[in-house]
Amino acid sequence: MVEIRFHGLGGQGAVTLIRLLALAGDKAGWYVQAAPFFGAERRGAPVKAYIRFDEQPIFKVSYIYEPDMLVVMSDTLVDLAIEEGAKENTIMLVNDDPDKARKAYARLPYEVHVVDATSIALDLDLEVEGMPAVNIPIYGAISYVSNLVSLEIITEVIRETVTGARQEKSMEAARRGFTSVKQIKSQGKVTAGRD
Amino acid sequence: MKLVDIANHVVAHAVRLARVDVVSAYPITPQTQVIEEISRLIDEGLMDCEYIPVESEHSAMAALIGAAATGVRAFSATSAHGLAYMHELLHWAAGIRLPMVMVNVNRAMGPGWNIWCDHQDSIAQRDTGWVQLYCASHQEIADTVIQAFRISEDPRVILPVMVNYDAFFLSHSYMQVDLPEQEDVDRFLPPFRTSWKLDLEHPLTHGSVIYPDDYEEVRFSMQQAQDNAREVIRVAAEEYREIIGRYHGDLLDRHLVNDADHLIVAMGSIASESRVAVDQLREKGYPVGLARVRSFRPFPVEEIAALLKGKKTVVVLDKDVSFGIGGALYTEVKSSAYGKSQAQIYNFITGLGGRDVTYKVIAKATEEAIKGKLRKPINWPTLRLNEHHLISVEGMVKKR
Repeated sequence: MVEIRFHGLGGQGAVTLIRLLALAGDKAGWYVQAAPFFGAERRGAPVKAYIRFDEQPIFKVSYIYEPDMLVVMSDTLVDLAIEEGAKENTIMLVNDDPDKARKAYARLPYEVHVVDATSIALDLDLEVEGMPAVNIPIYGAISYVSNLVSLEIITEVIRETVTGARQEKSMEAARRGFTSVKQIKSQGKVTAGRD
Repeated sequence: MKLVDIANHVVAHAVRLARVDVVSAYPITPQTQVIEEISRLIDEGLMDCEYIPVESEHSAMAALIGAAATGVRAFSATSAHGLAYMHELLHWAAGIRLPMVMVNVNRAMGPGWNIWCDHQDSIAQRDTGWVQLYCASHQEIADTVIQAFRISEDPRVILPVMVNYDAFFLSHSYMQVDLPEQEDVDRFLPPFRTSWKLDLEHPLTHGSVIYPDDYEEVRFSMQQAQDNAREVIRVAAEEYREIIGRYHGDLLDRHLVNDADHLIVAMGSIASESRVAVDQLREKGYPVGLARVRSFRPFPVEEIAALLKGKKTVVVLDKDVSFGIGGALYTEVKSSAYGKSQAQIYNFITGLGGRDVTYKVIAKATEEAIKGKLRKPINWPTLRLNEHHLISVEGMVKKR
């Protein structure tokens, strides 16, 4: 079983993201279970969500305390996300500027990948009610980092679920997320060398 | 048709497949998406159904009673305080013997105000005469809603049926579901039938004053109907398996019970989590099984007695409290086992108001029970009293 936990801000589209991932996981032949952690959702307030992928039917319904992957949709939430639980070999994916992130996350004892989802969304003018739709570039980045679902499959899901002018933009945002994600650190030490 | 969706939307599709004629409901978290999706299906012409918007749950059930009394298939959905607000009408629907189905998304009762899951809401409606079924997965919810109409409308039953499932753990989570084909549902679920209906051609009065001469007999007939429902539930599950090819158990769903010395008994999604605990305990060498109660009313008295025979340890998980005695499922299991089993029966009251209960907690507490380490029969394994809670208890005492 692969378990991923998401930390985002209300309005960033975490719930849409886990739904799109569940649809992609289904197409890729996984058993899936995805859920938001419901609390006091407000725009800008921290929100949580999770998804499970397995080759067997999923019976677990409890929260995820030791995620295989921790997706942090805002750089302001990195410490909070780790406090909520991680394990030794948790892989982190953070929405941040890679140059800034390399220094900022050197202290973390985890493998860290970074995607500048905010810039991708702003560049493509992909917004939801005035907030950059970071969920779609992150969707692509998760595909790249996790290998659970291919870029072809997530593109297909976007084609089936997003309509109008946003469809092409969303597919491009996912592709850019997929291709621009960078590993800045392996577990326990700062990665030297190329991006 | 296969889909990935939240359980609340899955319910709407099951209601569509059951060819429901009238829906009346009032929105409440965490049920709202059920009736939103039904409204959408009606609006888009995918469902031929009358939707009656109302100003409260009390009115929703009153409208449903009126609808069912005219001889049509009726459905509602609610949760927690909405269900509590219906309480009087729940007695009316069962007492005048109307078939209907309602889903209740299990949510904690306030105060303190809490939208998250436990079973206190439906347990508090235990004695209204409604059949109460509990589900543990999206697929089971879809299949059980369809089965519920057949159980409710069976001439040996003619009682309303409440299908319960857990807030958020199931209601708002996305999972895969295989919806049955309409023609298969039509084969399984015959057109609506009832024992009586309001008819201008043949006027009658129903549910008016009953003097002491007859009242007990009416109540006895409700008890008989609940007793009859056991076999009807079993047959419905069997025939559903034959026609549609899926089975989630009869009154119980049994997992690794045959060679088990120890049993976990639970209802709803915590029973699903318990399956993981059972598998973990098996790996550690403990012969543990799981009995998931699908039907709380009628209660599987004989099945539980038979299962508990020869068992050494039984732990009953309750997401509810019958204050002053303990968990409601625990007391039913103990009562069913009376004189039939020598097992030590323990109660874990846990997961109240959305408190997360992991398979690790369940496995650890069960292991302690098996090893005889629990000093009391009723335990709260996820309780974490801190100084604030203690101060509030002491403060209340001091004030007096």
